[in-house]
Order: sequence, then structure tokens, then C-alpha cells
Amino acid sequence: MLVAGIDVGATYTKVVLCHDGKVLGRSLSPTGFNFARAAERGLSAALESAGLRREDVGYVAATGYGRHMVPFRDLALTDLTAQAWAIHRLYPDARTILDIGGQNVKAIRVDERGRVRAFRLNDKCAAGSGAFLEKTMRYMGYTAADIARLAEAAQDPAVVSSVCAVFAESEVINHLVAGRSAEDVCAGAIVALAGRAGQLVKRLRGEPQYVLTGGLTRVPLMRRCLEQDLRVSFVVPPEEEGVYAAALGAAQLAQERLRRTAQRATA
Amino acid sequence: MSTSAQEILGTSRREGRRLMDLWWQRMTEAAQTGHPAAYVFVMAPLSELLLTFDFVINAPEITSLQTAIRGQSQAYIQLAEDYGFSPDICGYVKADVGVQLKQGEHPYGRVPKPALVVTNNVCNTYIKWAEFWEHYYGCPVFTFDLPGWRGRESLREGTEAFRETFENDCRYVLGQLRELVELCERVTGKPFDIDRFREHLREANRMAELYHAVCDTNRHVPAPFNAPLEGVTYQGIANLYRGTPEGTRYFELALEEMRERVRLGMAAVPDERFRLVLVGTACYSHFRRFVELFSSWGGVFVHSTYMVFAGGGFLPGFRYDLSRPLESFAEQMVRATYWGWTGAMFYQQEWLDQVVRDWKVDGICFHGVKSCRTTSTGLPDVREWMRVQRNVPGLFIQSDLVDPRLWSDAQIKNRVDAFFEALAAHKATAGR
Repeated sequence: MLVAGIDVGATYTKVVLCHDGKVLGRSLSPTGFNFARAAERGLSAALESAGLRREDVGYVAATGYGRHMVPFRDLALTDLTAQAWAIHRLYPDARTILDIGGQNVKAIRVDERGRVRAFRLNDKCAAGSGAFLEKTMRYMGYTAADIARLAEAAQDPAVVSSVCAVFAESEVINHLVAGRSAEDVCAGAIVALAGRAGQLVKRLRGEPQYVLTGGLTRVPLMRRCLEQDLRVSFVVPPEEEGVYAAALGAAQLAQERLRRTAQRATA
Repeated sequence: MSTSAQEILGTSRREGRRLMDLWWQRMTEAAQTGHPAAYVFVMAPLSELLLTFDFVINAPEITSLQTAIRGQSQAYIQLAEDYGFSPDICGYVKADVGVQLKQGEHPYGRVPKPALVVTNNVCNTYIKWAEFWEHYYGCPVFTFDLPGWRGRESLREGTEAFRETFENDCRYVLGQLRELVELCERVTGKPFDIDRFREHLREANRMAELYHAVCDTNRHVPAPFNAPLEGVTYQGIANLYRGTPEGTRYFELALEEMRERVRLGMAAVPDERFRLVLVGTACYSHFRRFVELFSSWGGVFVHSTYMVFAGGGFLPGFRYDLSRPLESFAEQMVRATYWGWTGAMFYQQEWLDQVVRDWKVDGICFHGVKSCRTTSTGLPDVREWMRVQRNVPGLFIQSDLVDPRLWSDAQIKNRVDAFFEALAAHKATAGR
């Protein structure tokens, strides 16, 4: 049976289509303000990429912040459980997952079967999330796509110490007014973000193997800062796997549920 | 179900509502007639003594949480902030200040002006809160200095160090109590009637036994009541009717009902799957929602720390010695401070460890209160201790007591859902 895993995140909606454990199609699109429409749109795009039709989908597992707003879902589960499951399937030795997303930073400790044993999430404040970095870039006239390039060109990262996104923005403005380069400010914001994300791993008492996921994994400085701070090495999945991890996990868990249901029916 | 069983079920809720309405009626009448009202706090309530002087008792923590339950706390809080209170100040304080600024106008009635304020140092905000009333009304304020901060070893019962510390502390508090008695006599013009006081202590002894017996019914699986829901009424009655026949009767009814529920196998949460303890309070501006986030997963709170340290000062196992009322009252205050302040608040893991075993608990929810450092400090440490030492999973969420602006539904729901998903796996692994 074809199953769809739909991760309706705060910033992006990711969809993965699976059949017998194989990924047949996927899509990535901005969520916008209407979660149900974002899910519908994402599913259509994924089906189109795979050359499949809506009626081919037998089961839908929704995850992410908007999971309860997907009207055609068969199952809703948190992105923590879904992500842990997918990463475990990719990296069976993974015990600690750090995900830096648009609105959320998650540190998850999993057991040898990929089940969530403990987790720590960032505070309500956005200073520890990707949204803060995006906001900083926007203020300087850049986009998220410029983050990695700017950060790598930094000479001396500016210190961004505030724990509040609004105050941090004021700090960024002060740095720019003082003549600091956009590269140094960008790198400073990443260092600050990495510090807050690393704190979650420390609180969780993470154990190896460490896996880093989320949109900011494509910023090498982020990884370097985290590794230096935590004195550990992170495995970084290829971008597609990292970004789609929760959607993939939702689809895999849906398949697992269907398998168990079938087993019970046979018994 | 028999007719008698049908009559018993729901009685505690109905009677609780009736008593709370009656209390508000008395408060409103006092506001209108000028009958003396005393303000006291839920940690170290002094109802037995104050009722001896016929004070109407106002517990501002309770009136504040009621503004939130009625969905009106934000307006009061913002009024206090407009007056100059910082957003970081305790939500209870600001909700009450808002009520006072509106001449006592409250969703349930009218709060009388204080003829006397009795505060203490168990919560450092209490003192600043009382300063507001003193400044605003020019009323007398009596501040108890309750000795609770001691090295842990000196609090080990049975040791010479404990005996010495305890006796000194009791003498210290007894001296303060005598001063308060004199002040009450001056404020009300009534002489202290020790026999009447003794009768209030007698009722409090009975009430305390019943209160703990009610809490004990939740050891049963499935639990007959949900600690934050029914517990908020229990705490209200325990504080406001402490030492009165009405209070005793209420807990008799509550116990009878809970035992009946146990007998009939009636669960507070149908299809109970997870038994939880709540550390801290619920968020009263989202009270039903708070409980529903857990009950929708089959999660029931079988106990809460708030039922202990704000439960009217009912110390497990303590009974007043009626032959020496004032001395015994001082002892109760000292012991309640040791227990509530040092034990239940700052060394929670010991109490939690026992509750996890005796109430068959699967997990613990720690609710950090943004505007309360006193109750929120140390929660992550306790969670870590319970996880590492006892393999008991914990969930940490954060919002507030009464300020709806600090409630973030999507984030809290995500944490709660993920906790239950993990708890289900944990329970399966542990074979529970």
C-alpha cells in the first residue's frame, strides 16, 4: 500500500511517499497560514513527482505542528517520534539527535530500537531557532540561502549574547551601526544559536552517536561550533534525508502500523 | 447502580461549589458591612486562630486563581501592569492588585478591604505583596518569620540536632503567635478565647485526617479523582474552611464519594492508561485545557505537589495537642514549614519517590511557572534525579499560574504528545 508521511512544519511542509519501504516521491513547499491547504498542496506535488494519483494513497500519517489540521490524516504523531524513527532506520547507532528547525530546536535521545527515551525542546522564545537567523539575515538584506556563504567568510564573529530574539535583533543593529561586517554578524548569530542548541544536548545528557538534522545542517559553521562546544562529532545526513526525516519517519511508522494490523488480522 | 450510590456521586463537587459560593457571600457581605477581614496565604494559613476572632478570611491566591478560571485574569493583570507592576512579577499578585484597584470587584463577588494582613517569609513575594496592601489601605501587617532554611542534617528527625533546632524554632514562632494574638485583640476588640480556639483545632485535626484519606483513595487503579481538577476544590475548602464543622463535613462527603467511586471502579479519566503526578500548579487560565491535554491520552494526575504544600497546611500525621493549643499550633507551623518549604518544595524527589511507588505512577509532569521563581527553581534537577535514579520519565512544560499570555498551546501540546508517545514505549519496555 502506498503511504504518505506529511510533516506540516511551522515554516515548510514536507511530504514523503513510500511503498514497501521505498521512497517513491517527495515534496517541499512553504507552509503558509493554512495548514490543511499546505498538506493538500504538498501531497499533490509529491504525487506529481512520482507520477502517482491521489487515489493510490492508502494511508496518511501527519506529523509536525500542523498535524491535527490535516483533515485527511489516518494517524497523527509528533515530529519527535517520527524523526527519531527515521533517523534510527538510517543510522542504527544513533542515540542523540539534534534538530535545528525554523521555530523549534529539538534534542532527542533514542534507544536501540529508535524509540524516544527523552527530549528537550527550546523555550518559547525564538532566539534559539532558525527563524531568528532568518530574521537576522533579512534585516541585513540577505536571505537564508546566503547564510553558509557569509558565515564562512567571517573574520571575527560578533558577539550576540541576548537570550531574547527581539533583544538579539537590537544587538545585531548595534553591531552593524558600529561598522561590523554582515559576515561577522551572521557568524555571530550562528555561534549564539549553536550555543543554545548545544545547551539542550547537555541538559539531555546526550550519548554517541550524535546526528544533526534540520535546515541549518547545510551551514558548516553551525556544525563546527556544536562539535567544538560539545566535544563530540556529529553525523550529518545528506540534506534530503535530514530535511525529510520527520515526514519519512511518519510514513515508515504508518507502514509499521499497517504491518502490525495485518499481522493481528491474520492471527 | 443503587439509589444511594447515585446520591453519593457528585456530592463533593456540589457541596464544594455551595461552600465556595457561601464563602463569597460572606466576603461580599464583609465588603459591604465593613466586617473585619483578614488576608492570609495558603502556605501557613492561620484560619483556626483568625476564626477565633470572627475574621472573614480572604486567601488572595485563591481569589486570583478564580479570576483565571473565570477567564478574566488578563484584564486584572494588565490593570496592575498599567499601575506599574512589571510583567515579571507573580501573576497571582498582579491579578489581586487588579482586583483591589477595581475596589474589590471580582467575577465571583466583592473582596473586602483588609482589617489585618498576616504574611510570612515562606514565599518571598508574600512580603512584597503585603506591602502593597499596607501601602494601599494603611492596614496593619503582621509578618511571620518562619524558620525553614536549615542544613538538611539538622532536619533529620530523631537526632539531637533536630530536637534542639525544633524546640528553638517552636519557641521563636510561639513568641510571634502571642504577638499576633495581641494584635488580633486590638484590631477586633475581642479577647482571645482559648476554648474556642481549641474547638477549631479539634475540627482541623479531623479535617486533616479526612483530607489525607481522600488523597489516599487515588492510590487505587483506576484513580477516582483527577488531582488538579478536584484538588483545586479540596485546597480551596482546606484553606477557607479549615477548623470548621462545615469543612469537616465537606471532607467526610468527599471521602465517602471517593470510596464509593473506588468501590464501583469509576475512573476520573475513562480508560485510564497513564498515572501521573503534577509538580507545581495547573495553568488556571487554561485549566480545562491543561487537564484535557493529558486526559485525552488516558492520563490522570493521581497526586500533585500543590495538594501538599498548598493544601491548607495539613501535615501528614500531625495532630494538634488540644491540652496546649497555642504551643501545639506553633509546632504545627514549624513542622509545616519544614515539610512544605524544605521538604515538599526544595527536596521534592523524596516525596515524589514515595508517591511514585505508593500511587503507582508512570510519569511526572513538571510545570514551571514563568512568574514564580520560588516554585520553579530546581524542577529540572528533580526531573533529572527521578530519571537517573528511579527511571521515571518526566515532562517539563512552562506557562503560568494565571497569565494567559504565557500559555502557548501548540508548543505545550507538542511536548505533551511527544511525552505520551515516549511514555507508551517506556511503559511497554518496563512491562508495566
